[in-house]
Amino acid sequence: MKLTIATIAGAAAIATAIPAIAKTQISVGVTETVSSYNPHGDSISMGYGIWCQVYGCLGTYDFKTGNYVGMLAERWTIDKDDPNIWTFYLKKGMKRHNDGKELTSEDVVHSINRMATDPQTRQKQNVRHVKEAVAVDKYTVKIVTKQPTAPLLEFIFDRVMITGKDLFDKHGAKTADRQYPWGWGPYKLKEIMIGQRIVLEKEASHPDVKKENPDVLMFRVMREAEQRVTALLNREVQIAQFIPPHLAVRIEKAPNVDVVPTSSVELMFLAMSPKSKPWDNPVLRKAVCHAIDRDSIIKAVLKGQAERLDGPIGPGQYGYDPKAAEMKVEYDPAKAKAMLEKAGLIGTEVELSTPVGRYVNDKQVTEAMIPMLNAIGLKAKLKTPEWPTLWANVQKGRVPFYFMGRGSVVDPSPAFAQYFETGGSPRIGISDPGIDAALQKERATFDPDARKKAINDAFRLIVAQQPACFMWRHKLLYGQAQTIAYTPTASGRIFGVEISVK
Amino acid sequence: MLVQAAPGDPADLLLSDEASKEDVDEARIRWGLDQPVYIQYWKFFVAALHGDLGTSFRYADPVLTMIIERLPATIELAVASILIAVIVAIPLGVWAGARPNSWVDNLGSLVGFFGISMPNFWFGIMLILVVSGLLNWLPSAGRDTYGLGGDPITGFYILDSIIQRNWVAAWDGVKYIIMPALALGTNMMGILMRVTRSSVMEVMHEDYVRTARAKGLTESVVLWHHVVRNALIPIITVVGLELGTLLSGSIIVETVFSWPGSGALLISAITSRDYPLITGTVLTYTIAFVLINFTIDILYAMIDPRIRFDK
Repeated sequence: MKLTIATIAGAAAIATAIPAIAKTQISVGVTETVSSYNPHGDSISMGYGIWCQVYGCLGTYDFKTGNYVGMLAERWTIDKDDPNIWTFYLKKGMKRHNDGKELTSEDVVHSINRMATDPQTRQKQNVRHVKEAVAVDKYTVKIVTKQPTAPLLEFIFDRVMITGKDLFDKHGAKTADRQYPWGWGPYKLKEIMIGQRIVLEKEASHPDVKKENPDVLMFRVMREAEQRVTALLNREVQIAQFIPPHLAVRIEKAPNVDVVPTSSVELMFLAMSPKSKPWDNPVLRKAVCHAIDRDSIIKAVLKGQAERLDGPIGPGQYGYDPKAAEMKVEYDPAKAKAMLEKAGLIGTEVELSTPVGRYVNDKQVTEAMIPMLNAIGLKAKLKTPEWPTLWANVQKGRVPFYFMGRGSVVDPSPAFAQYFETGGSPRIGISDPGIDAALQKERATFDPDARKKAINDAFRLIVAQQPACFMWRHKLLYGQAQTIAYTPTASGRIFGVEISVK
Repeated sequence: MLVQAAPGDPADLLLSDEASKEDVDEARIRWGLDQPVYIQYWKFFVAALHGDLGTSFRYADPVLTMIIERLPATIELAVASILIAVIVAIPLGVWAGARPNSWVDNLGSLVGFFGISMPNFWFGIMLILVVSGLLNWLPSAGRDTYGLGGDPITGFYILDSIIQRNWVAAWDGVKYIIMPALALGTNMMGILMRVTRSSVMEVMHEDYVRTARAKGLTESVVLWHHVVRNALIPIITVVGLELGTLLSGSIIVETVFSWPGSGALLISAITSRDYPLITGTVLTYTIAFVLINFTIDILYAMIDPRIRFDK
C-alpha cells in the first residue's frame, strides 16, 4: 500500500538519494496506524494528529493554558443574540503545499460537509451538532448548530481536516486523497505505507515552522512495546510512544535517552449500571467506590505511573476545579462494609469484567480489586472476555460492572453526556433528570467561567449517584533521545512543529 | 459464517467511541450487516465468483487489491524462511543421519528440538532484544529503510532492488528480513532436520546402498547420489506441509516484527471483525495451501521415477 505522490517534484530523486541524510529526520515508534488515505476515514487520535499537520485544522486545545487556540482560524465569535451561530475568521494568505492555492472559507465548508456525507467517513459524530456551514466571504465561515453547543470547539477544532474543495471537485475523493494530499498544515505528506510507516516532510514556507523542527518526521508502526523500547535504544527511533511502566527502567538505565511522563486525558473508571440488579442500589455502588484502594494499585501495579482522580476529571482538563474536594471518594473499607451490612448486601455476588491488554496492566489492576471487593463482604469474580466481545456488550448495555477507560476527554462534555445523560448511550444506563438538566445546562452556557461552574455542578450530581467510580488517569510515558527537545502532550498526538532537533 | 457467529460487531469496533447509535446503525446498513447472514454469504459468494472479494470495512479498499499488495511481503518472508531452514537443516540432517550418535548428530538433535519447541513469537521477541537491542546488529522492525528503495516492480523488495541494481537497498532488505525469517523458519528447520535424519538413516540400510558401496563408490558419492535422493520424498512432503505452517506462522511473526504482509493484515482484520478482509485473506491462504500441495504432488513424480500418475 505504497502511495507515491507523483506530483511532488523530485520524488524519484529523493528515493535514490540518501542525501536527504543532510536533512534532520525524526522517527517516532507508534502503536497505531491510519487505515485509510481518506482523512475522514479514521477516528483514532493519531490519525487526527497526522492529518491535522498535513491538511491543517481550525485550531486545537492548549494544555498549557487550558484554552483553545487557533491554527487555520485566526479567531472566532459566538452570536450574542443567537448562540447557535458561530463565526470563524480564517488566517489570510495561507498557501497550500505544492500549488500555493490560498485557503478559503469554501474549503472549510466543503470539509465539514464532506465529513458528514463521505461514504467512508468515521468522523460523522464530530459534526452531528452542526446544522449548516456557510461561507460568508472568502475568509469567514458561519457555522450554525442545531442547538446551543458550548463545547463545539472540542468537536470541530482539531478533528475537522481542511481539504481542498477544488481538488475534490476536479479529481473526486479517491484520487484527491491518494494523489493530491495537499493541505495547509506545517508538514506535507511524503509517503504512506499503511501498517508500516507514514512520512511527512516539513513545509518550510509555513508560518508555524521553525528551523529547528525536523525536516522529515516519520511515524513507524511498532505495536510491541519491547520493540519500541529496543528501537529507541538502538537509535532506530528518537521517540517511542506509550512505554509501559515495567519497561521504563530499561530506558532510564540507558545513556542518551530519557523517559518523559505526561498526563493523559483518558479517564479510567469502574462502571456500575443502575439499570441492572444489584447495581440499582446506590449503597452498593458507593460501597464499591470506598472499597478500592487506588493509591496502592497505582503504587504497586502501575509503578506510580498514574494520577489518582479526586473527581471525574483531573488537572489540565477543561472545567477542572481543584477546590471541588467534596467530590473526592476516600478509601474506607470499614465504612464500605458497614454500608453493605446496613443495607443487607453482605455476600452479594458481583462479576467485574475487564479488557485484557487494552489499558496499562488492566488485568493486573482488576485482579488487585477483587480481594478489595471481597474484603468488604462481596463475593466478587473477575471476567476477562476478549475485547470485541466485551466492547460489543458494553455498547449494548449488557455489562453491569466493568473496568474501562474513556479517552480524548479534553472538554468532558461529550464523554459525560454519552455515559451519564439519558439517551446518551446504553453503556451505563443511568437516567436521572437532575443530571440530564445539569449536563444540558453546561452545554448551553457559553461564558467560560459560568460553564466551568455548570460542569462541576453536573459532576457533583454524578458523584452523588456514583454510577461510576473514577479511578485515575495513566501517565503516558514517552522514551526520547536526548538529541531532541520535545514535551509530549496529554492528547498523545505528536506534532512536528513542537519538536526541536538539537 | 463462523466469524460472524463470534461476538463483536464491526460497526461497534470500527467507529469512534463517540459515535451515536444512529451512526452505528447507518454503518451496519452501509456494510450490509443488517441483512441475514445467509444473504450476506450469498452476496459474497456470487461476487467472489466474479473475482470481487468485497471491500474492507476498516480500510475501505477492495480486499483483492489489498491482498495483492501485501502478499509479496509475505511470500518474500516465507521464501527467506524456507531458504534458511533448508540450507541449515538438510546438510545437518544428512550428516546426522549418516553418522548417528556422533557429535554432529547430537548438535543436530539439539537444533531440531530447539526449533520444534520454540514458539516463534517468543523467539522473535528474544531476537529483537538480543540482536537488535543488545548487539545492535539488525533493525528491529519494518521491511526497509525509508528513502533507499526505488519504485516497486514485482513487489518483492529485495528482488526489485537487485533488478534495479540498487545494492544498498538490496542489502538493506536482507538486514530487515533476517530476523523475521529466522523466527519463522526455525520451527521448520527443526522438523526438517529430524525428518531428514530419520529418512537418511532408513535409506542407509537399503540394499542398493550396500550395492553402491560394494561397487567401490566413495562414501560421499554414496551419500549424496544414492542415499539423499532416495530420502528426499518424505523431506519434500514435510517442506510442502510446512509451507502451509509458514503461512499461518507469518500471521504472528509479521505482527511481532511489524512486517507489512498479509499475516499482519489478517490479524488487524480479525481484531476489528472486518469480515470481507478476514474471508478474503483466509480464502487466499486456502488457495495457496492447495496449490502448494498440488506442486508437491508433481514434484514427487519428478524426484522418484517409480511414481507415475497414469492409471
